[in-house]
Amino acid sequence: MEDRLREAVARSHADYTEARWEQVARSRVAFQRDQLMALESGEEAGGIVRCLVRGAWGIAVFTDPAELPHKIEEATHLARTASRHVADPVGLAPVERAEARHDGEMRRDFRGVPLDEKRRLAEGYNRLLLTHSPTIASTSVRYTDTWRKVSYANSEGTYVEQGIPDVTLSLAAVARKNGDIQQAFESLGYGAGFDAVLGKEEMARTTAQRAVDLLAAKPVQGGTYTVILDPDLAGVFIHEAFGHICEADFLLRNEPMRKVMQLGTRFGVESLHVVDDGYRPGERGNAPYDDEGVPWRKAYLIKNGILTGLMHSRATAHKMKATPTGNARAVSWEHEPIVRMRNTYIEPGEATLEEMLDGIEHGIYACSAFGGETMFEQFTFSAAWGHEITNGVIGPMVRDVVLTGNVFHTLENIELIGRDFKLEGSAGGCGKGGQSPLPTTTGAPHVRVRNVTVGGR
Amino acid sequence: MDILNQAAHKAEAAELYEELREGVAVNFNGGEIETAGSEAVRGRALRVIAGGRLGFASTAGGSDGALLASALLASSHGDPAPFRFAGKDGPQAAVPVLDREVAGIGVEDLITWGEDAVRRIRDEFPELIVNASLGRGTHEVAVRTSTGGERSEKRSYLSMAVEAELIRQGDIWSVYASRSVRRASNLDREALLENLLRELRWGREIAAPPTGKPPVLFLPSGLPVLLLPLMVGFSGLSVFLGTSPLKGRLGETAFDPRLSLTDDGVIPFGPRSRSFDDEGVPTGKLPLIDRGVVRGFYYDLRAAALAKAEPTGNGIKGGPLGGGGFRVPPGPASRHLVLAPGAGTLDDLIREMKDGLIVAGVLGLGQGNIQSGAFSNNVGIGFAVKGGKVVGRVKNTMIAGNAYDILKDGVVAIGGDAEWVFGGLHLPPLLARGVTVVAQ
Repeated sequence: MEDRLREAVARSHADYTEARWEQVARSRVAFQRDQLMALESGEEAGGIVRCLVRGAWGIAVFTDPAELPHKIEEATHLARTASRHVADPVGLAPVERAEARHDGEMRRDFRGVPLDEKRRLAEGYNRLLLTHSPTIASTSVRYTDTWRKVSYANSEGTYVEQGIPDVTLSLAAVARKNGDIQQAFESLGYGAGFDAVLGKEEMARTTAQRAVDLLAAKPVQGGTYTVILDPDLAGVFIHEAFGHICEADFLLRNEPMRKVMQLGTRFGVESLHVVDDGYRPGERGNAPYDDEGVPWRKAYLIKNGILTGLMHSRATAHKMKATPTGNARAVSWEHEPIVRMRNTYIEPGEATLEEMLDGIEHGIYACSAFGGETMFEQFTFSAAWGHEITNGVIGPMVRDVVLTGNVFHTLENIELIGRDFKLEGSAGGCGKGGQSPLPTTTGAPHVRVRNVTVGGR
Repeated sequence: MDILNQAAHKAEAAELYEELREGVAVNFNGGEIETAGSEAVRGRALRVIAGGRLGFASTAGGSDGALLASALLASSHGDPAPFRFAGKDGPQAAVPVLDREVAGIGVEDLITWGEDAVRRIRDEFPELIVNASLGRGTHEVAVRTSTGGERSEKRSYLSMAVEAELIRQGDIWSVYASRSVRRASNLDREALLENLLRELRWGREIAAPPTGKPPVLFLPSGLPVLLLPLMVGFSGLSVFLGTSPLKGRLGETAFDPRLSLTDDGVIPFGPRSRSFDDEGVPTGKLPLIDRGVVRGFYYDLRAAALAKAEPTGNGIKGGPLGGGGFRVPPGPASRHLVLAPGAGTLDDLIREMKDGLIVAGVLGLGQGNIQSGAFSNNVGIGFAVKGGKVVGRVKNTMIAGNAYDILKDGVVAIGGDAEWVFGGLHLPPLLARGVTVVAQ
């Protein structure tokens, strides 16, 4: 495929052309209660070309490799049609020509693990969940692995070939008693091999027990609280609430938002540092080269509480006179690259958990996340569970804990940053612009925030 | 040799799903066209039953031999198939799902419509950032089984989504409207923009939200807060697994008697209409709630067999809100959910509620314990009502409650004008009480 890609982009008449061909091998096992719902392995291949003509993009997605030259013509034509309507043309920031081959490391390559062994692993976890307590009504266990081999060429002479491993495990238990239904889950995701999901028996027991415990937990009382976020939830917070607005494609044609996100603006306390890192060994959010052939770099979004950087594609970097950061990622061959996060985290601070609890008369300890969503400055995320904090002591479990707020106020309201740290990819992924789920990793220490709105009855 | 014939040598039964997606789309960013794209994607999925065991595999571009080998490998480690693939069916009236006019809509037309939308909004609200995406195309789907099932269909689609953003220091807000249709003449661009403009006009001022338990009016675009738990609860698989609160409640009045909900897969040119589901089972019209009484659940082949029920033509790749495609195995999902309208205009409902909250959109939809019906969401798009009039949009506001409780005891009124939202939901506005509202 390498020669075909190189030749096709070289022959293009567009101002700029790139072509990406992906071969994906995946397998999946899913159990629900006692039912094997999915067991499969397979391969697929497809491609996308993207052409820039007079400042407008044309794109063509296809599955027939013989169509490649024709698809470049088609994308060029589409770009030309669109370009007649463009007043503010797209430009590309310069990058060095790259020539690279990189395969993600796996201790035990999941492509060599028999499907049967993957099934037995999932089945074992499922049995632990199911037999944990008679109140467990149902379970869900899901194992997936994906090897994405991406070949990329552009008309500037760049050629990058990458093998990207991804392995996930998610465990969920549903407990039921007297018509009440509660669920608990844990999930993991790594850019690593089969070994990364082995030995998670304790996680299965904890998950099942939490579902049982949630039956006895009271719904949280809605109101405004000082909240301690555990590292899982703080990581989701920084991704959802803050990370997304640092994605520069969202600022590309948005003058007022660019003013809000001016570099040098103070967003939080001196001890707040937020990073988006393109490569940490074994992590799910890794993108050694992004889908524009740009190598990764570690970018500080916030340093000492001050906005110091944004995440860029070549187009956003050009517009905002910045350097491309390697954040142009596509979820698959069916999509063009857009600005996305990789491994995004809050760096650890100084506080111990005891120091963070100290002085909280009535607060919430919010743990792990069902998910989160953001609409500009407004964000919301659902904790998987929580605990009341009374006079500095962590008390009974509460459920249905959903936090919401304005990201700028919330960053300002961060009072303490813990000295612990946890970096973790979940089994889900990030969704944006119809591209989901993109593997990302989030991380943080414990974080204490005042004045957080918690929904509830 | 055809892959089903090849499979016949090594398996007792096989089912081939084939999909060809072709279309064009344009994207506007900040009021201006940014990309124009096309897609031509062919994908296939094969299920086999070999040695009594079920196997699944999918591919794009892969050979027949590799696809069959993957499916057979999966079956060799699989569990006994609890069901049989679709067989030969009698003639069935086809639902109209293909409008040839859609293919005549060019990229230039889509760009013009996008530019019109931008202009319409900017004429009235010059400071707003407007994004839009429009697309059209066809999905050609064929499902064939070794047991004589053979169905194929070409379905057209035309879609439009518009978003308008207000961005000021310390006050950021956006509204969103989208519509997907199968027939070109069904896309009422004017109505879509009017909905958006109405919310923008309502939102000119910021107002204090009512808190406590005020009346809450869910617009069609906000009502999925209450309906999403039902989409899970009415799944025959959830009922079988025991995770649905509706388990064992067929025939019971579990909802307000004014509530009637139908999963209708055969609305002519309905956005998710199809003559057959992704397992080749004919679709139809399935009453879920009839005047408050639980009447049915929806099933794919597997869930039907497990629950000893009849398949309802709800074996769909992807969830009720879309997604899926060839690489996903089918599972039970609704086609359209149609909530029977009541009476009265939106203005009547707003007058009736006097002082309350209008919910037009939320953040965090479906993130929580939706199986139990519990919801707790940030009101992304909401408006305060005072003395029967909208006085402005609300900020930093959350709603919480339980969908099952509210749809049983908290229905105040159901409006008369239903709209298509989220692709396949046809919903009127619904005025409810018992929703807790918290604000900062």
